[in-house]
Amino acid sequence: MIKANNIHKSFGDLEVLKGIDLEVQPSEVVVLVGVSGSGKSTLLRCFNFLEMINDGEITIDGTTINHKKDNLSKVRAEVGMVFQHFNLFPHKTVIENIIEAPMQVKKKKKAAAIKHAKELLDKVGLADKADVYPNKLSGGQKQRVAIARSLAMEPKVMLFDEPTSALDPELVTEVLQVMKNLAEEGMTMVVVTHEMRFAREVADRIIMLDEGVIIESADPKTFFENPSNERTKQFIQLVE
Amino acid sequence: MPEIFGTLIDVFTRTLSGFLEATVITLQLTAVGIILGCLLGLFFALLKLSKAKPLQMIANFYITVIRGTPLIVQIMFLYFGITEFVTLSNYWAGAIALGVHNGAYIAEIFRGAIQGVDKGQTEASFSLGMTKSQTMKRIVFPQALRRSIPPLGNQFIIALKDSSLVYVIGVAELFSLANREAAQSFQPFETYLIVGFYYLVLVMIFTYLLRWYENKLDFDKD
Ligand SMILES: Nc1ncnc2c1ncn2[C@@H]1O[C@H](COP(=O)(O)OP(=O)(O)OP(=O)(O)O)[C@@H](O)[C@H]1O
Ligand SMILES: [Mg+2]
Repeated sequence: MIKANNIHKSFGDLEVLKGIDLEVQPSEVVVLVGVSGSGKSTLLRCFNFLEMINDGEITIDGTTINHKKDNLSKVRAEVGMVFQHFNLFPHKTVIENIIEAPMQVKKKKKAAAIKHAKELLDKVGLADKADVYPNKLSGGQKQRVAIARSLAMEPKVMLFDEPTSALDPELVTEVLQVMKNLAEEGMTMVVVTHEMRFAREVADRIIMLDEGVIIESADPKTFFENPSNERTKQFIQLVE
Repeated sequence: MPEIFGTLIDVFTRTLSGFLEATVITLQLTAVGIILGCLLGLFFALLKLSKAKPLQMIANFYITVIRGTPLIVQIMFLYFGITEFVTLSNYWAGAIALGVHNGAYIAEIFRGAIQGVDKGQTEASFSLGMTKSQTMKRIVFPQALRRSIPPLGNQFIIALKDSSLVYVIGVAELFSLANREAAQSFQPFETYLIVGFYYLVLVMIFTYLLRWYENKLDFDKD
């Protein structure tokens, strides 16, 4: 679904990604871990072209993207992204947040967009919040709306960048549950998270990023019980 | 004390119809100044935010020159200074000067408001597949407008008061009339007090309307 081939990304003199190779299969859930500054967010952002790679190749659903020539809006419409700080549109109600892109980008009719949005709100357990503004929601509710908003575009893959890191501990579960359901429905997902229980239970594969390179890629059991890299061992001790 | 009130009321009633007419002119000048100022402000804010260096330089030039020179000079320049090229009536010279003057300040207000919108907003919008122009129009501008209302309101009030400066080219707005009245009646104390009162009331009405509009737009408030 996503194929990264020898990705390099620098900010000025700082090389953040140093040749990343990664292939995510359809319906696969990949959890991305690593210490702060290892390049997790940058990698995710390259996948939907919020950052442009300096070298290498990104292929989404069989199409290799040339970020200089291709219509990036079109590519991004197929790749959902959920942010740490939700980034809901504060001037729009919950339902307006969700129908915005389907109507503007996919030129969906309003009635159809609303119908789909309501189904999605139902799915994330917020059917009663359709007409409130985001500032009236808790963090967990905001993040679930943000997930519904991404899903409204019917993306082929969903990227999550620390979706629960900004939440109070008691609100984390409701968001993880929605993500878990999504995984079970067969959504292809790449998730950056520090929630190791989620990684253990939901991930098909856990990838450890360290100073811009992948140093470990294994199924959860192997990752936690028998990691091959010394730094992975240290990291696991740190987070467990 | 009661004597002063007596004369104040006398002067007030005597000048009432003239001052009300002049108030209309003052409001017209202010309205043209604000509308033109907002259009120019938006235009130059966008130039300044564009990626093209020459466009930024044009915007910087306009903002620096206008903010760096007195409004009264700009008014005189437009009315007397460019007669070789165009002749403007004193009314339009004054109105355009006000618009051009306020445009420079409003450009900075808009630029700040647009830049102040959280980057996460554009990123979320892009990530949903929205184009740059869709993102600007539907996500950034509405939020920037909301942010610019308080400073914009401030600027509108300044524009209203600054409109008095066009008295130098003889437009029959409030302050010109007050000057004439004060000189003719030999009652400058009462006349200037009363004209000050007119401006104060106008400013208070403005402030009230702006606060009402701000509340209407206030989606961030609990
Ligand atoms: N826009 C940018 N400009 C300059 N440097 C950047 C930029 N974005 C990220 N960096 C740098 O790139 C490195 C990797 O950042 P990144 O956000 O990808 O790390 P991360 O693994 O997501 O960390 P965290 O766990 O703290 O979120 C950091 O050193 C960061 O300072
Ligand atoms: Mg990060």
